[in-house]
Order: sequence, then C-alpha cells, then structure tokens
Amino acid sequence: MNFQPHEKLSKHVVSKWSASFGRLNREQTGITGLLSFSEAWTIARDFLYPRDLTDASPPPPKKIRDVKAAFDVLAQCKMLPVLMEDFLEDMHKQQYLVTREIKIFMDKYDATSDPQYIAKMAIRVVEWYKGWSPPSELGGTLAAAYTLNFQTHIYSVLPPSFTRGFKALLNLTFNLVHMASVPEWMSSLVPANHPPPARADSPLWSAFDKLGLLDRYESLVSSVCYEYIEAYILETCTKRWDESMLVAIREWMTDNIVPWMIMPYARGARNAEEARSMLQGVGSRLDFHVCKTLTDLRTSEIFDIIVDYPDSSGALHDLKECLQRVDQRSQLVQTLRKANNKRLLHPGADTKDILTQYVSIIRCLRIVDPPGVLLYKVADPIRRYLRDRPDTIRCIVASLVGDGESGDSLVDDNEPIQPLQQQQEEDYSDPNWEPEPIDAGPEFRTNKPSDIISTLVSIYDSKELFVKELQVLLAQRLLAITDGNYEKERRNIEILKIRFGESALQVCEVMLRDMTDSKRTDTHIQAQKSSNLHATVISKHFWPPLQSGKFQMPGQLKELREKYAKEFHLFKPDKKLNWLPHLGTLKLDIELDDRTISAEVPPLEAACIELFSQKDEWSVKELIEQMAGSMESTAIIKALGTWIDLGILKEEGEDVYRLLNTAEEGDQGHRPSTRPAMTIDEEPPVTSLQQQEAAQMQVFWKFIEGMLTNLGTLSLDRIQSMLKFAPGYDRNIEQLGGFMEAARREGLVTVKDGMWKLQR
Amino acid sequence: MEQITPTIAPPRAAKAPVTGQTTESLGSVTKRLSSELMTLMMSSSPGISAFPKSDANLFEWVGTIEGPSGTIYAGLTYKISINFPANYPYAAPTIKFDSPCYHPNVDINSGAICLDILQDKWSAVYSVQTILLSLQSLLGEPNNASPLNPDAARIWDTPQEFKTQVMRYYRPIDA
Repeated sequence: MNFQPHEKLSKHVVSKWSASFGRLNREQTGITGLLSFSEAWTIARDFLYPRDLTDASPPPPKKIRDVKAAFDVLAQCKMLPVLMEDFLEDMHKQQYLVTREIKIFMDKYDATSDPQYIAKMAIRVVEWYKGWSPPSELGGTLAAAYTLNFQTHIYSVLPPSFTRGFKALLNLTFNLVHMASVPEWMSSLVPANHPPPARADSPLWSAFDKLGLLDRYESLVSSVCYEYIEAYILETCTKRWDESMLVAIREWMTDNIVPWMIMPYARGARNAEEARSMLQGVGSRLDFHVCKTLTDLRTSEIFDIIVDYPDSSGALHDLKECLQRVDQRSQLVQTLRKANNKRLLHPGADTKDILTQYVSIIRCLRIVDPPGVLLYKVADPIRRYLRDRPDTIRCIVASLVGDGESGDSLVDDNEPIQPLQQQQEEDYSDPNWEPEPIDAGPEFRTNKPSDIISTLVSIYDSKELFVKELQVLLAQRLLAITDGNYEKERRNIEILKIRFGESALQVCEVMLRDMTDSKRTDTHIQAQKSSNLHATVISKHFWPPLQSGKFQMPGQLKELREKYAKEFHLFKPDKKLNWLPHLGTLKLDIELDDRTISAEVPPLEAACIELFSQKDEWSVKELIEQMAGSMESTAIIKALGTWIDLGILKEEGEDVYRLLNTAEEGDQGHRPSTRPAMTIDEEPPVTSLQQQEAAQMQVFWKFIEGMLTNLGTLSLDRIQSMLKFAPGYDRNIEQLGGFMEAARREGLVTVKDGMWKLQR
Repeated sequence: MEQITPTIAPPRAAKAPVTGQTTESLGSVTKRLSSELMTLMMSSSPGISAFPKSDANLFEWVGTIEGPSGTIYAGLTYKISINFPANYPYAAPTIKFDSPCYHPNVDINSGAICLDILQDKWSAVYSVQTILLSLQSLLGEPNNASPLNPDAARIWDTPQEFKTQVMRYYRPIDA
C-alpha cells in the first residue's frame, strides 16, 4: 500500500514523458523527429537572437527557407510560445546595449541642451528596434509582445531630462513645416542611400510613432502645440486692435498648424478624406484654444481697446466671435469692472473723460454683445458713480448743445437726432422677439438699441434735472452774447426740442424770446431817444435765479439808467424795469489829464471808477457807502485791482486808493500789457443748479432742526412725512437718508437704532 | 414804431391775503399756520422753536423754550404745547407748559399760563413766533400782580430760594 503513491507518480511521469516525446518527435521513426526539432530550435533561436548592432562582424547568412522550415517544425511541436519566452529572455539580456547608447545621447543632450541629440537618439533606437524585431511572418502575438517589451524598457531608461528635450524637439518641428533649409543634422538622419523624404520631419515622426512616444507623451505633444499657438497669438495680436486678427490667425493655423498636425495626428491616413476626419477632433480643440487665447488676451486689454475705439473695432469683432465659442463673458465683465474702478471711477478722472469712456464702453460692448447684457453689468457701477458726481449733468448738457470748447462731442454728429427713448415694455407680439440671454440678471432690462444721449439721460430718474441745467447753461450763454446773434442758440434749442419734447423746453423758448424782444424794445427806445445803454429785459419767472446783490450806480451811469428806464416806462406803461446791477458790461473811455484809456469792464468796476471822477481819493468803505451796496469789500478790492492794473488807480498806503490823473513814470509801460484790458468775471452770472440746490437744502435743514428740537428723536420715515410742511419738498426717502447721513458726518445729528436726534 | 404787445404775462402772484377775511375756512387757517411755520423755521430766534406734533394735524404743535440767559431760568429748557382753534388767528391758541415750571404766572400742576396776550389782549397780528418770544421774556420778567402760583410770586424777590424751588420742579428734557 505504501507504494501506491509512488506508482501513481511514476505512471503520471511516464504518460507525460510520452506525450512530450510524441509531440516533439511527431510520430516519426526513432528519434529523427526529435533531432529535426532540435535543429529547428537552434536555427530559429539563432535567427531571432538580438544581436549587438555595433558589432561589425556580419551576421551569419540566413537561408530564409531554412528558417521558415524551422519555424514550421516548432509550430508543429507547439513550441513557439517557449521560443518566444526564450527570445524575450535574450532580449532582456541584450538590452544593456541600447541603454548604453541612450545614455550617450542623453549625456550629450544634457551637456548641450541641443534637441538634435534627442532626434538622433530616437532614430538610433528605432534602428535597434528594427534590428531586433522578429519578422512579421511569425504572427502578431510575438510582434506585440516584442514591441511592448522593447518600449517598456526604453521608457524605463529614459532620464527625466528627456521630457524637456522631447518638448524642445517638438517645438522645432513647427519650423520644419515651412523651413526652406532644414538643419543639417536633420537631413543626416536619413541614410544617404534613401530618397529624401517629402517632409524633413517625417522620419522623426515615424521614429516617435515606432517607439510609442506619441501615445505615451500625447498630452505633451498637444501642450506643445497649445503653447506654440499661444505664443504666436500673443506675439502677433497684442496691442493690435485695428483689424480683425481672428481670420488671420485661422489662416495661419491652416498654413502652419494643420500641416504639422498631419504628422502627429493623421500619419496613418491614406487619403485626404481620411486625414480630414482624423484631424477634425483635434482641429476643433485647437480652434477653441485659439479663441480662448485671443479672448484672454483681449479681455486683459479691454480697457485700452475701449479707449482706442473706434480704431479698435477689429479687436471687438474678434472678441464677439470668440465669446460665442468660449464662455468667458463673466470674466470679461469682471475684468472691465475692475479696470473701470481702478482707472476710471476715481476722483482724479475728469467727469468729461468718464462720460467719454462710458460712451465708448456703450459703443464697444454693443459690438461685442448686441443684446446689451454685458453692457448692463458693466455700466451699472459707472452710472451709479456718475450720478454722485455734481457736474455730470452739466457735462452731458454741454455736450448736448455742442459746447464748442471741447471739440470732440460725446455725440456722433452723424447720428440722427431722435426723441429720448423711454424704457420699453417687451413686445411679445414682435415676430423678431428673442428671449433674454441666459446670463441676464433679474433686473436686466433689454435696452433696445437706443441712442447714446437717451442712455446718458437715463442715468438720472427724470429728465427735469436736465432741463433745469439746460436752462442755467442757456442763461449763461445768452447773457454772454453781445452781438445780438442768437442763431446758434436757437438751433440748439430746436435740436433739443426733438430730444426732450416741445413742452419741456418751453421755458428755454421764453428765454430766447426775451432776448429777441429785448433787442426790438431796445431798437424802439433808441429810436425815441438815443442812449448808450442797451438793456436786456428778461422775464424773471422763466429764468434761473441770476446773481443778485444790490448797489447803486453812481453819477452819469445812474442818469443813463434812469433815462432808459423812463423811456421804457413810456413804451410799456404796465412794466417796470428792475435792474440786476451786477450783470452786463460797460465800454468806457476814461479821459485823464494826459491820456485816454478804453476798457470793457463789469458794472462794479465801472461804478468804482465813476466815483473817482468826484474825488481822487477813496477808501473801500467809503466806496461801499456811496454805492449803498451790500457787497463784500473783497469784490470792491477786486474791482479796484482791475484799475490798478490798468495804471489808472494807485493804492496809497492802507486802504486808500488814488486816481492817477497823470501816468506815473515807468509804471505805465509794462503794467497794462500784463493783463488784457477786458476783464472777465470768473463767476458766472447765473446761479448754478448746485447752488440753488444747496439753498433749498438749507431750508429743509431748518425744518428738520425744528422738528427734532421739539419732537425729540424721530425715525427717517417720520422726518420724511413731516417734511411735507416744508414748501417745495420733493425728495424721496433715499435722498433724505443721504442728506441726514451727511448731516451726521458734520456732527449735527446722531442716529441710534434708526432714530435721529439733534447733536447738542 | 408800432406798439409791441407783451407776449408773456408774468404768473399771477400766488399769495392770497390772509387777514381781514370773515369767512373762516379751515383751508385758510392751514395756510396761515403753514406760513407761520415757514417763518418760524427760517427765523433764527435763539431759544424758541415749535413744530407740529404730527404730519396729520397742523393744529397741534409742540414748542421748546429755553430760559433767557441772565435770568434764573438760564440754561433750562421747557416744553410747551400749543393748540390752535379752528378760527385761528381770530382766537388765541391754547398754550400750556408740558414740563413742570415753577413760575409766578404758571400753574405748577396744570401748566396753564397767565399771559395777557393769550387772553383778552389777543390780536390776529400775533403769531406763534411772537407768543414764543413773549413766553420767553415772561420767564425772566414775571407779572407778580396776577399770580397763578402765589408761592412763587412771594419768593420771587429772594432769588436764592426761588432758584431752589425752580430746580426742585425742573425736569430736564430727554431729547
């Protein structure tokens, strides 16, 4: 019983042995089969053996028929897998040869950073690969196993610096597409007896492919391509906004990148059709990258692009097209908002500049995004900022009437003049209606292409403010006209009527008519009794408050006025002239003992010098008394200064002014030249809207003070409702809040839990 | 030269005369009170002030009077209430001290005031402002002949004692 296992084992061994023998001997007589197998094994093994390519001795001649027969024998014996294992084993032993050469090349590369060594290495390694490759007749399994083993080995021995070198080499290939002269080392890669390849870089690419480098380094290849494109775009497009670059870039892509792409991405293509379908995916990825790069670039430049508008419309059209592919609208908005905050919306910027830039932004973003969502998002902070600036309205109004001084008006003269447009309700019955873009916020209002002026005016809630400011501006301009030519103003008013509507500008009409009526009245009065005085008669109720202040014209000036007033009264018995003593100009000829001086001056100056015809020496206080005026002494001193500059008066000691009946030696020569004879009052005659506003707020403040004194603490709501006792109160609660906040900053009131009280 | 007719008539003066009308419409009273309020607000009389209690009723006002400097009441602030009758200004408003005021002509409990112009000497030409000014001067110059507070009238001549009493009753306003 003890022998049983042994017996079993022997039996097993015997049966295995005979099976193996039978397989190798192939049922031939004796052991001839075995012998022929042995011979075939040797031939086959010898044939496959990976030889040292550097070995100069020629490889033993091979009779391909013998080899084939040998492989047939082995196949019959089912020994091919074993042979394959053996071969791979041999290969493993011989790999040090390749490793050695790779190291030499890599050392050279590390020393020089010249990518040609990488190229040479690739070509050389391919030679090894080809040299060792088993013939394809032996079937796919062996070839695949060989390639896998070979590549695995290569990857394992490539040093880290290879990645860098490979990248440099890839970068070089871009130049090869069109490079007329290929670097010498590159041409030397092709053996001399071969015909030169159609493309200098094709041997390289096929080498990369053979070694599987393209698959292994796929992301590297594409990133090299991306970087190459980026570099090109940055180089060609930065600060070039005048023309559309996108078309040029795409052409460049077709001419340069697409041919290049064929190598890494469409080598296997047999015809153009196939190549196209292979390149489609990667091509559209690259095109996306082009758009993204350009968008990034233009986004970073957007503020300057807008500054350059309209010379930068090319860039804007590009941006529009790119944004349709790349979803970077929010980045654009953020960048622009940031740039605006940093470069535009600060105290150092002129309101006019802000407005100009705002108008440019409107125009530019309309190109980029016609529905206006981007504009809405960007414009909001600008509009809020402009609303807080005191002179915004004035700037807009000045540009409305085409203030000559600035030259470049905000408004394009070619733009047709249209009535102001109000926010429109959505017209859903419009067949061309489109929904709001998806990134539109809830408060977004489709701003249908309305004109610039409408947009500017809509910064404010009502157009009444504009009309008021217009009035002030018109008053200033009308009063400044001395030659009686009001045509320009009339034209302006007509233009503005189209915008603001007839009724809004009725007051301006009246003002204008006052001027022409005055002229007629004056002509009539002059006809009755010629006078040197030409009065402008205005209807007080239709004019903005004018600079007031009282003083009596002395001497002959007074007579002049009284005579004129009398004539006027005869002409219009129901009217009485109420002089505005500060306004107007006087042309004076001052006759002195030795000279006559002509000057054109404001009334106060004239009044002063008139008094000097009574006596030669005056003090400021006496002058004020004589004129029964309520003006500040500084105004008198200023008026006297004008005459001192003209060499007519002289300041003699403290507060005493003396008339120079004869010119002082040496004094007269240079003085008049330092200042023009006509002095212009810097202060505009019309009380500005701001001053009116301030005066009004002063009244409201009195009321607030009164209610807080008597009623103790009050909430903002209560103050607002109590202010209805104040005549003309028309502010909303936000404005009141702002006002109270300002009062708090001045230390007039305090607030606690929303309750306001007076600071005592 | 032909006559030119004026094309623009100045807007008619909006102010209607307030006094001298016998018809007492609430509207004209309101108008009068509004204009008095405006005058009071714009005048800068130191130490006197008044304002309607609420925006709904123009006939009830609250006033503030600071004691005139140089008198016993200097530095003290008193609240008063002013009620206008419907036939104001033909009848005097009812005025009383809200904060307790120790004064010969003021009832310490009810706050009622004995002042001739508020009773038989009233005239339509007086206004809130003149009343407040009169009250302010009354603080420093009481009419001891017709006292509402005889104790106060009695000790008026001893300022030390009087001041003590004033301060005993005085309640500062927590405004």
